Amino acid sequence: MVKISELLPRSAILLRLSSREKFEVIRELVKPLLETGAVVSEEELISAILRRENMESTGIGQGVAIPHARTTSVERTVLAFARSDEGVDFSSLDGRPSHVIFLIAAPEAQKAEYIVTLARLSRLLRREEVRVGLGRAASPDEVIEIIRQYE
Amino acid sequence: MAEHPLVERLLLYVEPGQDMARATGWALQAARFFGCRVFAASVLAPTPAGNSKDAEEQAWESLYEIEDDAFRQDTRVSLLLEQGDPLPRVLSLAANYAVELAVLSADTRLSTAELVRKITCPVVFVR
Repeated sequence: MVKISELLPRSAILLRLSSREKFEVIRELVKPLLETGAVVSEEELISAILRRENMESTGIGQGVAIPHARTTSVERTVLAFARSDEGVDFSSLDGRPSHVIFLIAAPEAQKAEYIVTLARLSRLLRREEVRVGLGRAASPDEVIEIIRQYE
Repeated sequence: MAEHPLVERLLLYVEPGQDMARATGWALQAARFFGCRVFAASVLAPTPAGNSKDAEEQAWESLYEIEDDAFRQDTRVSLLLEQGDPLPRVLSLAANYAVELAVLSADTRLSTAELVRKITCPVVFVR
């Protein structure tokens, strides 16, 4: 069973983004994933994520965005999380900027796990208490704990 | 593509059913033909006990499956998961997103007569 909390390394939890522009934010989120060994090629992963973003927004509304890609440049499914006080424009259908951003990188061959991860995360993030909790979390451990509590 | 395409926005109503895969395939093919954007929407009907985690997650899985297929076919798709009475929600989505075509599976659980009478655009039922 896919556990979001187990796919999210503490080192990939950014409580304060330095970028405000969508493409820079994606770069910032991919960086810590390189150290996990799950990502083979940084540029290929970024390119796969941007290709999707250029076609359609991954902002799912309510201040949440989930940029994602399934690509051969990733060896195992891994997540990164970032929070933005100012918000980032992910062109969400509800027009609101995204304050909670999860990036999902998955191997090309792991479609089922990728879809389940996206679905589980989307369900979690529709809960207001999860979004509020993630917005207030003071440390990576607290972020993980909030996800564990609700998944 | 024509200067003023016939269909710029297409609504695909996603629900469990035998004909759903064919309806999805038809909608994505139509979207490629028209060069239009797809709004793939699912509606969770209220239940006395509330929606289970499983029902909501299953709905998201169906939507993300469609998104993944669409992406690989260079088709633009937006995902919508709504809560409420399905028929009014579908009618409201069609109006709010100003879609020019709605695609449903032929074995839809919605009242087709009422849908066709009230919706603001042509409807295709796919078997």
